[in-house]
Amino acid sequence: MDFLNYVINGALIGLLYALIAMGFVVIYRASKVFNFAQGELVILGGFIVWYTSFELGLNLWLAIPISLIASAFAGYLIERIFLTKLIGESVFSMVMVTVGLLIFLRGFILLVFGPAVRPFPIVFPLRPLFIGDLLIPMNLLIGGGITIVCAVGLSWFFNKTRPGLRMTAVAEDHVVASSMGISVKHSIAAAWIIGAVLSTMGAIIFLSGKSLTFLASDIGFAALPVALFAGLESIGGLILAGVIVGVAQGLATAYLDPIIGGSIGTVMPFIIMLGILLVRPTGLFGWRTIERV
Amino acid sequence: MNTFSKLSFRALAVAGAVFALSHAPTRAEAESTYNLAMLSDFSGPYADIMPILAGGREAVVDWWNDTRGKELGVVLNYKNFETRYDAAQVASLWPGIKSELNPIAVMGLGGPDVAALGERLPEDQIPMFMSTAGYGFAWKSDSWVFNPRPTYSHESAGFLNYLRQKLGKDGPVKVAIMASEASPAYVDMAHGLEKYAKENPEMVEVVETVYTEVQPTDLTAQMRRVVRSGVDAVIIQTNTSIVVATKRALQANGADIPIMLSSHNGLPASGKAAGGVAQLEGDYESYGMAIAVEGDTAPYQFYKLLSEKYGLKAPWNVVTAMGMSQGSYVVAVIDHAIANNGAENLTGAKVREALFSGPITTEETRGMLPTLNFTPEAPFPLKGLKVNIARVVDGKIVIEATNVDVPVVNKW
Repeated sequence: MDFLNYVINGALIGLLYALIAMGFVVIYRASKVFNFAQGELVILGGFIVWYTSFELGLNLWLAIPISLIASAFAGYLIERIFLTKLIGESVFSMVMVTVGLLIFLRGFILLVFGPAVRPFPIVFPLRPLFIGDLLIPMNLLIGGGITIVCAVGLSWFFNKTRPGLRMTAVAEDHVVASSMGISVKHSIAAAWIIGAVLSTMGAIIFLSGKSLTFLASDIGFAALPVALFAGLESIGGLILAGVIVGVAQGLATAYLDPIIGGSIGTVMPFIIMLGILLVRPTGLFGWRTIERV
Repeated sequence: MNTFSKLSFRALAVAGAVFALSHAPTRAEAESTYNLAMLSDFSGPYADIMPILAGGREAVVDWWNDTRGKELGVVLNYKNFETRYDAAQVASLWPGIKSELNPIAVMGLGGPDVAALGERLPEDQIPMFMSTAGYGFAWKSDSWVFNPRPTYSHESAGFLNYLRQKLGKDGPVKVAIMASEASPAYVDMAHGLEKYAKENPEMVEVVETVYTEVQPTDLTAQMRRVVRSGVDAVIIQTNTSIVVATKRALQANGADIPIMLSSHNGLPASGKAAGGVAQLEGDYESYGMAIAVEGDTAPYQFYKLLSEKYGLKAPWNVVTAMGMSQGSYVVAVIDHAIANNGAENLTGAKVREALFSGPITTEETRGMLPTLNFTPEAPFPLKGLKVNIARVVDGKIVIEATNVDVPVVNKW
């Protein structure tokens, strides 16, 4: 029964990683930019939720929608200020901007909210769900459901709707997309808005009932192996990749950590990531690009 | 008197006044002035507590200058240097600090200061005094870096012996340790207690050391193991995020197992991060320093004096107490150095020698610290060690026990 519990918990943690990784993928799909500041978007979203719920004292069910709208606006602003001027420039330049954005967001949050550790509101029930001997944390269970809904919805959006297909075309080539009458600016802005909202949703699930500090941005790096494992273009693949990575991490934490006496569970996702990059650099479901020479 | 004569007279008067002033035995000349370098982190990971800690240690030096310093004819100047809690920053600042201040002592903040200066201070003959507990990896003889408190493992061992007595256990008290490989210090804390438990199986049994991230995603599964193993307490000397995550995981498992915290992640800080001290009902903090609770205690009276007369703005909490205890034992050591060598020509080496020349009594530190007996064998006292223990009762932090003996913990 313990084994099953570790598997379920691991899978749910993996789905949380998948939700954060969805932010990576959405932005990558629309702009071919790997956003190194994804973890910082998570803490920015976390601080917005904290501010609306604790500082403004709003009811949680009002604070959360307002926070999601505010983070969408923050995503839009980030794209307008930092990235819109770089359309048509090399991808490397845009990636370096996201590194700068990482540093900027940390400084900005420090300046605006201060360095103190904050309590995060209890959004989901603290009492876990008990099914016989199984114990399932409610925040992860509900979060897992949200992740699956988001993945299905975004997959449909990108593959079946006109705006989604336009964003995909933008990811292929900015110049070609522009020549076809697609607004590259709007597509990339939409990707950053979606990325920022997903990050805030990730922050709510991750931090519910816990504490909010800069350290929370580390989850951006924890989600990285899931994004690379799935393939940076695959939203649906994130679910499978998240579950595999999460279960591997959970089992390593349960069975290897006590033997080895270290945090092998923490390292496990990165071991998987390195293995995948060696065998299949495009990930499980990443696009294979065929180039004519 | 013609104009020329008037001018000549005035010039002579001014010259005479200047001569008289310049040769008068002014106070500044009668005093010996020495410098202290304070390493601070106002913009890094400890930026939230730094103004409070700095306020505590600065107020003590101001108080000493106004009282003992006046009696002895010594002024201690101090200056804060921003390190961002970064060893590279400390290393790059150090040559400038030396040439600018030529300090007789450094007040350090944490691990990066030790990492950057541990090897350089013996050469520069300047001792550094910390406010925290010590570490096993720094447990070396002939150190130039000193801690007023023994290692974190000593402090947790002291607490566990107390808990064992309190629970009336014949066998060992069973504990789990929360640690993280994110910091060598966190690993060290766990290793020290594991060693103590191994050597004293009748006293403590460590059922598991749980390694996690500094901001854990979820600890429900780990805590389930811990709860099932029947532990009496969980030891957490890492950070507040791990405390909150552990607490939530214990609550999720329906377990009411007490947690023991240290000073830097203590009940007020972790309580604040969890949404209120009441969230930590029944939990403990334990360390070899005064506990910041109001009352008719020497530390609180000292705090009130510093607040009322020496501009201390910080609230009375554990961080202020850390700053005050650091300032208190540093000025006490300098006091000893002056007693041994006279007020003139004091050097860092003489200050360090004074540390070993006799105990720094608890009266000298106004009860901020127990009596400290430093020896060249270790960077912290090894004998007569005591810890104080506080607990959350009915949503308030109260003193549970004071001057609890710390057992012998061997080097690891």
